[in-house]
Amino acid sequence: MSVKLLAFATPEQEMLVDTTARFIEKTLPLAKVRELAESAGNPDTDYVQTASSLGWFGLLVDEAHGGGSASGNGLLDAAAVGAERGAVLQPGPFVGLNVVAHALSADGPRHGALLERLVAGQTRATWVAGTVGGLTPGPGEIVARSDGDGYVVDGEVRLVHDVAGCETLLVSALGPGGPVQVLIGADAAGVEVRALSGLDVTRRVCAVRLRGVQARADAVVGVPGAPTEARLRQQLAVAAVLCAAESAGAMHTEFETALEYAKARIAFGRPIGSFQAIKHLLADTSLSLEMAKGLVAAAAEALGEGRPDGIELAHAAKAFVAERGVELAHACFQVFGGIGYTWEHDHHLFMRRLAADAVAFGSADWHRGRLAEQIGAD
Amino acid sequence: MTDPSTDPSPAGHVDAPPLDDYRARARAWVEANLERAPQTRPARGGDMTPQAVTEARALQRRLYDAGYVGITVARAYGGQGLGPEYERAFHEEARGYRLPDFGIAGGTTFGVVVPTMLAHAAPAFLRRHIPKILAGEELFVEFFSEPDAGSDLAGVRSQAVRDGERWVLSGSKIWSSGAYYADWGMCLARTNWDVPKHRGLTWFAVPIAAKGVTVQRIRQITGDAEFCQEFFDDVELTDDDIIGGVGDGWTVTQTMLIYERGGGFGHGGPARQAPKGIAPDLVELARSVGRLDDPTARDLIARAHVDDVARRALLARLGGRMRAEPGQAMHLASYAKLASGVFDPPRANLAMRIGGSDAVAWDDGDEAGARTANGFLNSRFMSIAGGTNEVQRNGIGERVLGLPREPSFDSGKPFREVLRDARSWTGRPAGG
Repeated sequence: MSVKLLAFATPEQEMLVDTTARFIEKTLPLAKVRELAESAGNPDTDYVQTASSLGWFGLLVDEAHGGGSASGNGLLDAAAVGAERGAVLQPGPFVGLNVVAHALSADGPRHGALLERLVAGQTRATWVAGTVGGLTPGPGEIVARSDGDGYVVDGEVRLVHDVAGCETLLVSALGPGGPVQVLIGADAAGVEVRALSGLDVTRRVCAVRLRGVQARADAVVGVPGAPTEARLRQQLAVAAVLCAAESAGAMHTEFETALEYAKARIAFGRPIGSFQAIKHLLADTSLSLEMAKGLVAAAAEALGEGRPDGIELAHAAKAFVAERGVELAHACFQVFGGIGYTWEHDHHLFMRRLAADAVAFGSADWHRGRLAEQIGAD
Repeated sequence: MTDPSTDPSPAGHVDAPPLDDYRARARAWVEANLERAPQTRPARGGDMTPQAVTEARALQRRLYDAGYVGITVARAYGGQGLGPEYERAFHEEARGYRLPDFGIAGGTTFGVVVPTMLAHAAPAFLRRHIPKILAGEELFVEFFSEPDAGSDLAGVRSQAVRDGERWVLSGSKIWSSGAYYADWGMCLARTNWDVPKHRGLTWFAVPIAAKGVTVQRIRQITGDAEFCQEFFDDVELTDDDIIGGVGDGWTVTQTMLIYERGGGFGHGGPARQAPKGIAPDLVELARSVGRLDDPTARDLIARAHVDDVARRALLARLGGRMRAEPGQAMHLASYAKLASGVFDPPRANLAMRIGGSDAVAWDDGDEAGARTANGFLNSRFMSIAGGTNEVQRNGIGERVLGLPREPSFDSGKPFREVLRDARSWTGRPAGG
């Protein structure tokens, strides 16, 4: 049951989506996601390596570093993969790892060796994005002080995804001359990772605290200051689109499950989906879902092609999906009725995921705020 | 699905010019023959005066003579028989220039009536009408809804009765946009009362100047009067006026509804083509009322923008889905219609919030206030016109999502009995 995020897919995209869906179904279907959630575990190394062999972590990376897209627009391909992942509530690594790969790929050969290992699934990394001068959303801020030709980094960021199993963290911090990004070893002195309890039981979230962590000059990604500022805007847009794509996938399954239930559940001598009250609720909800899929694909397409409206569309897509995803979960909840209140039913897993994703990489309010800043600027 | 009246492959035409040459010639013609379009549109549509219609016809005629209307329509019917890429090229070159404005009837004629006729009418009918339509001589409107049948379109009661060689039309139609200045109406009439409602319908082309046709304008809540009601008192028609087969009216209707619903954006909604920047109409409004720096107004504008881009993305997605599932096109088009019906009203309310007191009282000539208030009054247009939100939701629920149908009391028995039984309706299913 593919999400069909792309209304029109190339044969190569169809193959990518198909192998992705089959891999998930075989390796980590919803029942196993649930088991993993109950034990607070993480996907094993095999999962990550097979995922990498399907191309999950190389779509935003040039071929010289082992990457490559299916369609020529790697972000659009990655969004299609993200939607299939979201449809089965896959835990990471995906968004954070792809953002790091994207950032390193944009930096040329400097971090080429690490990049190649990330793409190949031999090592993992994630993005630790504090609030950096309003460019990225994040509960908590990280500050980088100059230290010789490198930096000393301090601060704490909560709500970091996929830290487990990571060897490397890409840390965005506020430096003396504007934003700066550095690579820090997850086991470096002064790095403290704390697992948090979370609303979304299918993902593990952590707080990352950095205390006097040394980052040498060769750990810097990009050029601090204005270039990193521009890079962060792009990076955040990529994260927003991929996160929204995963949400759109989760919306898809939640909706399809409610739809099946409306056809099967009998009340007053009829399937409840024959009543207009239910039918109209589902029709409106499916409109929302179609719009969400269309907008995520449009944003991925524009941003992936480097079009000037790409970032703006990414903000819009995240804002739309964040609000409509939670709304969709509530509408489906109403269709499920009492059964939706049980732990055994999968509905709550989707509602939890959609509400948590609504906040990850910027809430609807935050993204709308970025759009509002543009008003009158042109 | 092949359509004999349009030519799908320009390559099939030995004389199809290279696209670049065509574009260059079109550009030269446009520059030499058309005026630049004014930047702003008036706050209200207002009347189509006879003079405005005459001007539009004259301009249409010039375009027709130059070969720039009906670009994709077969040559036998007065068109150029070229592929859609030629039409696109011409419209790209003509952007920013003044094209014929026939008001709402123009949209109906060229956006709904012509494609429906091309799909269903007999070749002789098409040879008679299409060239004149393209030349601006025959402006068509739809005679669709009735005082007693709107969303339940298959329940129309206007009837055409065969009388020897002719048909005699009686009854009434309503909400016919622009009928007061149009030449013809495409009219859905019941031709058989003794079969179920969807099977006894036939489409006719009705000359508005014919004896027995009376057109009355309806003043709307905006003060405009673009809608009309028509009365038919034994209007004489012939077999030549039939579009599609006798009794085959519902098949034709289904095609028509694709074009009718596909319009996507209604009154006051975002234009189909992506505007530059963020909700430019609302930004202009905020500026004109001095609230461009107000954070609340800016959030409202950003909110509208998010929905605007989602609606545009929806249309692109639907286009892709319709290509993949052509049999579902009419039902998928309901999404475009429902999006307008659901999103237009809150957008208009949001504009009222930005406009504040300036949107409820304004000096004469203050376009921003008047336009906002008018948009508010018009904002439920797409929620109601051409099938209500509820009808679209039923169509989506049953035909796209595959939900079970409501119990039906009217689709299985002769329409004559439906009307009789409805008077003593008990809520029990037929035969129950």
